[in-house]
Amino acid sequence: MKKVLSIALAVAMSLTLLAGCGSTPASTPASTAGGESTPAAEGGDYAGQTLKVAAIETAYGADMWKEVAAAFEAHTGATVELTTDKNLEDVIDPQMKAGNFYDVVHLAAGREKALPETLLKENAVEDVTDVLSMQVLGEDVTVGDKIIPGFTGNLTTNPYGDDKVYMMPMFYGPCGLFYNKANFTEGGGELELPTTWDEFFALADQTDIPLFTYPVAGYLDAFTYAMIAEVGGQDFFNKALQYDEEVWNSAEMDQMFEVLGKLAENTNPATPSYANNDNFTKNQQMILDNEALFMPNGNWVIGEMADAPRAENFEWGFMALPAMEEGGDRYSYTFFEQCWIPAGAENKDLAKLFISFLYSDEAANIFAASGAVQPITGMTDKLSDDNKVYYSVYDNGAKAAIGTFATTTPVEGVNIKEDVCFTMDSVVNGTKTVDDWKTAVRNSCAALRAALQ
Amino acid sequence: MNNREKIVGEKSGVISKSFIYAALVLLTVLIVVPVAWVFMAAIKENSEFYGNPFALPKGVHLQNFVDAWTKARMGDYFFTSVMITAVALALLLVVALPASYVLSRYKFRGSKLLNTCFMAGLFINVSYIVVPIFLMFVSGDKIVKNIFGHSFFLNNPFMVSVVLASTTLPFTIYLLSSYLATLPKDYEEAAYVDGAGYFTTMVRIILPMAKPSIITVILFEFLAYWNEYIISMTMLTDPNGARTLPVGLLNLMKAQNAKAEYGQMYAGMVMVMVPTLILYMCVQKKLTQGMTLGGLKG
Amino acid sequence: MQKNKGRSRFIVACVAPATILAIIFLAVPTFNVFRMSLYQWGGYSPNQTFVGLKNFATLFKDENFFRSCRNSVLLIVIVTVITISLALLFASLLTREKLRGQNFFRVIFYIPNILSVVVISAIFSAIYDSNRGLLNSVLSLFRGDAEPIYWLGDQKIVIYSLVIAMVWQAIGYYMVMYMASMSSIPESLYESANLEGASRTRQFFSITLPLIWTNIRTTLTFFIISNINMSFLFVRAMTGGGPDGASEVFLSYMYKQAYTNSTYGYGMAIGVVVFTFSFALAAIVNRVTKREPLEF
Repeated sequence: MKKVLSIALAVAMSLTLLAGCGSTPASTPASTAGGESTPAAEGGDYAGQTLKVAAIETAYGADMWKEVAAAFEAHTGATVELTTDKNLEDVIDPQMKAGNFYDVVHLAAGREKALPETLLKENAVEDVTDVLSMQVLGEDVTVGDKIIPGFTGNLTTNPYGDDKVYMMPMFYGPCGLFYNKANFTEGGGELELPTTWDEFFALADQTDIPLFTYPVAGYLDAFTYAMIAEVGGQDFFNKALQYDEEVWNSAEMDQMFEVLGKLAENTNPATPSYANNDNFTKNQQMILDNEALFMPNGNWVIGEMADAPRAENFEWGFMALPAMEEGGDRYSYTFFEQCWIPAGAENKDLAKLFISFLYSDEAANIFAASGAVQPITGMTDKLSDDNKVYYSVYDNGAKAAIGTFATTTPVEGVNIKEDVCFTMDSVVNGTKTVDDWKTAVRNSCAALRAALQ
Repeated sequence: MNNREKIVGEKSGVISKSFIYAALVLLTVLIVVPVAWVFMAAIKENSEFYGNPFALPKGVHLQNFVDAWTKARMGDYFFTSVMITAVALALLLVVALPASYVLSRYKFRGSKLLNTCFMAGLFINVSYIVVPIFLMFVSGDKIVKNIFGHSFFLNNPFMVSVVLASTTLPFTIYLLSSYLATLPKDYEEAAYVDGAGYFTTMVRIILPMAKPSIITVILFEFLAYWNEYIISMTMLTDPNGARTLPVGLLNLMKAQNAKAEYGQMYAGMVMVMVPTLILYMCVQKKLTQGMTLGGLKG
Repeated sequence: MQKNKGRSRFIVACVAPATILAIIFLAVPTFNVFRMSLYQWGGYSPNQTFVGLKNFATLFKDENFFRSCRNSVLLIVIVTVITISLALLFASLLTREKLRGQNFFRVIFYIPNILSVVVISAIFSAIYDSNRGLLNSVLSLFRGDAEPIYWLGDQKIVIYSLVIAMVWQAIGYYMVMYMASMSSIPESLYESANLEGASRTRQFFSITLPLIWTNIRTTLTFFIISNINMSFLFVRAMTGGGPDGASEVFLSYMYKQAYTNSTYGYGMAIGVVVFTFSFALAAIVNRVTKREPLEF
């Protein structure tokens, strides 16, 4: 069963991605097995060298990083200077401005402070394409062979839209809609789980609970990404992320905005007032208290809300986005964290070796023990049953959308994420219309298109 | 006519007085309740934070303070904060007092210009000069590192004190000199006649008389330094090194994608609040004596 | 001659340290803000490109910047008017009326001013909570089951929610200042006004207000300066500029542009505008409020 699951996942992903990513070659380097790469796993070779690693501490905790660092030290004899913090940007941003670069940083794009984005815009991240053809430290396979196809070669890992990899994919998880199983037939409730958006909105007549909420509008990025893929397919999705004019002006996009507008009407009206850093847990609480039916989120939400009180018989449920029409594709955006090497790093060779080690079975097991899952083939085998629920979403026929908006040179006063996501707040409370939303996004896309590198 | 007005006046006096009391009591409640609420929240257990925020705590959960003090390292941060505040205050007084004294009571070439410049300094906002200062330290550190082998300016609590003291100079000098300007000239003249030097006169005669305004400055700037977080967040970046209390507090609050430790957070808030409350209670009587803003007395 | 030399030495020794510190940590950084506003720079790479006034040209076409301007100006005007009038009212009540517990009220009212903005924002988050918050619970006593008010979630309201928090924080400080100056007005002035039958409102406007006018003028200037900074701290802690940027102010927008949008030079251009704006506003306020100073 476990095996089937993981294979299904891998196959589903690779198929959908390979089928769609015509323009961006997926996993090119995987085919060229590591010949001339750095010799791996020669214990003690790096004695006396110091590697500075910075990793964000999220719901997974910081201990797993300590263990992995210790394991790496044992293999190489190098010393790892590990920095972990919940607000890692506040720590490493000033340090790097001061010229003290870290050798390896594990910090995802898409967070509020947008540090990786800033560095990418500034061309201050090292090209790590060759890591894919390196052998994993202590193993006979290359890194590229271990990573599930599709996790490289997308616009997150190859931010400039070419075949160079700058961000290595780390812990991933499907983003979709969370709900309380007890409200639906699978948990003994009255309602049917919707498979299309029409069914979704029809729920409004069957229940008094508002249909939707979101923690902060920023979380809608994964959500809209999946929707874009739903309305137009993979190719359309990739073009949209590169601000393609035709795509953004297409009828399919109109359809997406229409659904978003309807969603705004069906959102718990208190949502925008909690949609800030201090109060977003109150929006998440709405799901636990049956004050909203669905919420876009990632699986960390379960850890985040572990202590929170909940409605009777509450059980977390998770599904991909409903399809646009009967029989249409359903998508779940695959969020993954990234690990990268700043261009200013002093010890780049050792840094690359460390990254290769992150994909070793040894490191992956340490991470998985804390619930952090890397996109490594066969990894889902090792998950606890709780966690498997999420990763099985692709098993049930949902397709994966991977990627983020392409990186451009900085444009003064233009922020695409604000336009795409945060406008939701205004639409929910009626300050802006869906047409305003479309116009704002289209204008920003036009400005960014001109700034594409 | 006059008589009638008086009676009406007295009657309305009683009514208006109760009105006034009602207003005062209302404002008192509006202030005391929220502040007391923070103290109350600090003894709640983590799970109690998801319900009604104004529900009474189920028990006294003092573990929050222990956790905040050790696990969240608020204890360390507390001492860093104390040190930074104390050094900055000392430095500020040593630098600002002589300057204000001379600027307010001596006429010399450029004295007018200097006064104007310090006044203009009031308009400089710390929020936008903090990064230029940071970048300045960065280049300073590069030079120092080349010569001595380790950095000096960043991650150095002492430098935070220096920056804090410097950025509050204009306001402090403004406050002190407007007070010093009100003192009569006779004191110094008498001292000179007795053969006292300039320095002696300043330290022995003028500064003791400036005590009320010094106390005001100490309170104001203590509050400013203690609660400050923009500068200390930028200048102290090592997560294992020194940090100030408000920065530690923000860290507890702003952790995304991780479990929120509400109990520790509110315990941290109490730790930030209590010293300011204590100092305020100690000096509140003298607070207004040193303020002659706008030269009302002059 | 000897004495003169000693005097100069003393003056230099006293003024030099303060001047040097101010130059290094105030003048030079400010100069750098102005300089960087003419450059295009992301914050990391060594390539800083001189672009002249381009940043300013972009700025004056930036809708979001104008919104942050409107918000800042709105906050300055409303918070100033409310805080200062309430502070004056309470100050005169506490000094003029023979009230019991005068000192008690004075001590209590000042407390919000000594709290960290971090603490204040936590307090108001709980008060403004739209479903379980204190404010909506109290209001529901009068409004029944009407739709709750979304204090931080409604574009039209969020600014006023900030106003309430800022007034709450500032009122005690200004009240204590005005009390200090009011208490130095000689009692005899009020006695003779009483004999002439002047009402207390009348006394307030024709005695108290004119006599502390210089004091009010100065506090106004300080208010404007500190308000720009305080509104930033409040916005950052309470709303993060939301919903959808509706509560963005000068400095919070500057931070977003300089640090999260990788347009450092653009952010500094905003800094220059803020500096100039606060200077100009203070000058205007000073001019408009100029009266012949009254002596007593």
